[in-house]
Amino acid sequence: MRALVVYAHPCPESFNASVRDAAIKSLEGAGHEVRLLDLYAIKFNPVMGMDERRDYHERDKNEAPVAEHIDHVKWAEMLIFIYPTWWFGLPAILKGWLDRVFIPHVTFSLPDGQGPLEGKLTNISKIAIITTCGASFLATKFIGEPGRRTIERGLRHLCMPKCKTLYLAHYKMDTSTDESRRRFLTKVERSLSKY
Amino acid sequence: MKVLVIFAHPVETSFCAALYKTTVETLKKAGHQVDACDLYAEDFNPVLSREERVNYHDLEINQKAVESYVNRLNACEALVIVTPVWNFGYPAILKGFFDRVFLPGVSFEMVDKQVKTKLTHIKKLAVVTTYGGTRLRAFLVGDPPRTIAKRLLRASIGLAKPVSYLAQYDMNRISDATRARFLAHVASHMENF
Repeated sequence: MRALVVYAHPCPESFNASVRDAAIKSLEGAGHEVRLLDLYAIKFNPVMGMDERRDYHERDKNEAPVAEHIDHVKWAEMLIFIYPTWWFGLPAILKGWLDRVFIPHVTFSLPDGQGPLEGKLTNISKIAIITTCGASFLATKFIGEPGRRTIERGLRHLCMPKCKTLYLAHYKMDTSTDESRRRFLTKVERSLSKY
Repeated sequence: MKVLVIFAHPVETSFCAALYKTTVETLKKAGHQVDACDLYAEDFNPVLSREERVNYHDLEINQKAVESYVNRLNACEALVIVTPVWNFGYPAILKGFFDRVFLPGVSFEMVDKQVKTKLTHIKKLAVVTTYGGTRLRAFLVGDPPRTIAKRLLRASIGLAKPVSYLAQYDMNRISDATRARFLAHVASHMENF
């Protein structure tokens, strides 16, 4: 399958970078064609500007500022998000990627009258989320996992019906050990190799 | 009261901008001292940099890059956020405000490995927001912006504090009359804030 890895961490020496490398290795090992989108490396601007917001609903015109990213999303059959969970959500740079790239007419359409929104990314049949959380599993559940829900329930709705999802999280990063981190990397590799 | 009003919409003529204007003006008329913080107008950069991430837990230097915002947050007694909901979350510019300003030592501190909130000077919180989708669809997604306000922000200022969440759903389809009604609802809430 064609797999787009969307990665968002500012530090090249971070654990998230190791997760990214493990994920890519595993996906390539399983025969997938992988493209990496490193949002910090390309200095992606996550702020939807005034003109972009004004043209948000304009067919074709709304694609122009993010054409390259739309090509990536249309190319992909699998989306893999790798990011640290900050403030229980997605880092702003990743949230802004969703804001600016997942636009009407291209990724979904709104019916004129009543009726539900229709997803147009039927090329995507699998989504994986791999993240690290400072908080514990319980605290994360109590807050309600806003970041995870934005992708797993919000974005998934725009993809192929019955699009599969996978969620892997390493909790309590601040008290993680070499051992727990190694175990997590192994889990990432194993899960993705058969995903 | 000193009220910090944070606004996160790029278009001046938007309905959200009208909500912001009404909020600020009504609060002022009601005798509050308002610090109006328009993130777009102030060109706020929401991207947490490598340097900030490396220094994140260093309480002596982690606030440097966003000092003025930390001071404004520390000076307020109430917080009001006026924002659209995009993709079932806050716009990146607002999400990044939390990423960069709600730092260890600012919004929380670790005491004996327990998280202790530091924003206890904030007595109340209101979020005024608009959704493109319906309330049902937001509910099915788990309504992340609502849980952030009702649980995470509430936990940050103290669980017993009042948090109001004023939301207008289904923006793509509602009538002028519904919009006017919501605007009036927000105004009356701010009169008695």
